[in-house]
Amino acid sequence: MIEAQSLTKRYGQRTAVDAATFTVRPGKVTGLLGPNGAGKSTTMRMIVGLDRPTSGSVRVNGHFYAEHSAPLHEVGALLDAKAIHSGRSAYNHLLALGATHGIGAARVREVIDLTGLQAVAGKRVGGFSLGMGQRLGIAAALLGDPQTLILDEPINGLDPEGVLWVRGLLKHLASEGRTVLLSSHLMSEMAMTADHIIVFGRGRVIADAPVADVVGQGAVTSVRVSSPQAAELARLLAAPDVQVTSASGSTLDVAGVSAATIGGIAASNGLVLHELTTVTGSLEEAYLRLTADEVEYHTQSVTPEVVR
Amino acid sequence: MSTLAQPALARSSHIDASNRGLSATGIVRSEWIKLRSLRSTWWSFSIIVLIQVSIAVLFALTTSPMATEPTTQQVTQAAVSISTLGVLFSQLVIAVLGVLVISGEYSTGQIRSSFMAVPNRLPVLAAKALVFAVATFVVALVAIVISYVVTMPILAGNGVDAAPLEPSLWLSFFGAAGYLVFIGLISLGIGAALRSTAGGIAASLGLLLVVPTIFQLIPAEWAGVVASWLPGTAGQSLYYTGSTFEPWQALLVMLGWVAVTLIPAAVLMKRRDA
Repeated sequence: MIEAQSLTKRYGQRTAVDAATFTVRPGKVTGLLGPNGAGKSTTMRMIVGLDRPTSGSVRVNGHFYAEHSAPLHEVGALLDAKAIHSGRSAYNHLLALGATHGIGAARVREVIDLTGLQAVAGKRVGGFSLGMGQRLGIAAALLGDPQTLILDEPINGLDPEGVLWVRGLLKHLASEGRTVLLSSHLMSEMAMTADHIIVFGRGRVIADAPVADVVGQGAVTSVRVSSPQAAELARLLAAPDVQVTSASGSTLDVAGVSAATIGGIAASNGLVLHELTTVTGSLEEAYLRLTADEVEYHTQSVTPEVVR
Repeated sequence: MSTLAQPALARSSHIDASNRGLSATGIVRSEWIKLRSLRSTWWSFSIIVLIQVSIAVLFALTTSPMATEPTTQQVTQAAVSISTLGVLFSQLVIAVLGVLVISGEYSTGQIRSSFMAVPNRLPVLAAKALVFAVATFVVALVAIVISYVVTMPILAGNGVDAAPLEPSLWLSFFGAAGYLVFIGLISLGIGAALRSTAGGIAASLGLLLVVPTIFQLIPAEWAGVVASWLPGTAGQSLYYTGSTFEPWQALLVMLGWVAVTLIPAAVLMKRRDA
């Protein structure tokens, strides 16, 4: 259980996290979603006491992180892929980390096996690929068998097998009743892994709901109709709560009316239909809609003029 | 990449969370694992032993007997000088290592792992300083004793009287090893405050090599006084008799220097975002 109350972090003039209030509950995988610079990583660093909040507070399992007598048993965190001395071997890194809590070599070997690092455990971390670094970070997070897991972009750099494994692992950990919080800027990844989503935009929480609700909330379900008599059909469909937009001369995007109703109207008026498709909004669309105004680093669409 | 185990293994049988947790001994053990698992540690310590012994041997080979029969004190002094001459060089290695021990954690991001495990942070610095101090003391003492043991036969061959390994000699050896510990701790404090390897090494070597020269160049009397209080100068009174300070005074001066660097470093470490 992670409880944030008006959590705020300012770096000089810039507000990285702005009065974020949210609760991450056990037994579920909760996704922290947001564009780059939205405040996800800063929030995670504040949860584990690395950054001091400018105001507000965040508690883990009922206490401030620093108050726990065995922090590694409470929270396991993978923050940056490389929070590890590059000159040390993976095994020694985990051994040193565990030693602070009296965690011995047996558990270290266990998490090495679990994350598939047996072959490289004795090698220096500096030579690790991004994927191996991520696995080592996950191994470190699991070391204390923690009640709460916090993972910042855990699938970054993992191969497909690793991605599947992380998804399975996180779901399994949540099913054991643990609190699992992961961040990502990949909406598709969240749709596959998370049960609940907290969307960040420019440091503020702009949505906090089950995945299905976020999709329903932000995305519009519309019907795409294609007909040679598009103009007439548009006239017949016109109603106060119906939106008709014309994609091209013969194609309409209709919102507010079901495909069945449109088909019925067309049939009773003897109109020919070439296409009648229900378009469901994806999490991706919902996310882009939600964060449209909240993206910090806007890219400009490349127009021919710019290219020239 | 080898295959990944089933997630079910995540729940460990090797952990009993009920009676385990952070402990001072655990943090010290962790810092010891960290120190011994880096190549830079072994390189630095090997270089120290090598420098100490080879400089002592070189010096012993060129030593000739005194014209008059030397006093017991002169014999002891000669043994101390020869055995500890290398300290002037190995202090530079220790200064670099002292900075690296902490700046390496900041430059690699390791510090975040360390602080997540020990959120109070200060025990990390304390344990690091303790482990580094003990390791440095042992290595320095070993290097000095080897230097003594190796050079005594050479001196005897040259017809120079050899000092027996008596308490006063041991005291000087402890003092010289202690000097290296103090230099290491001062550098550790500088490294922790600056959080940068390049900046830390520049500052600590500057304090040892450049700052004394600057004060010696200033013709005023106060400059000479300041120069004598600098760690590189005052610290030599720990093992050379007849210097500016008595050994116990030098000990206090060095403790002061350690406090002046480590305490601000600790305050900053506690306050700053990692």
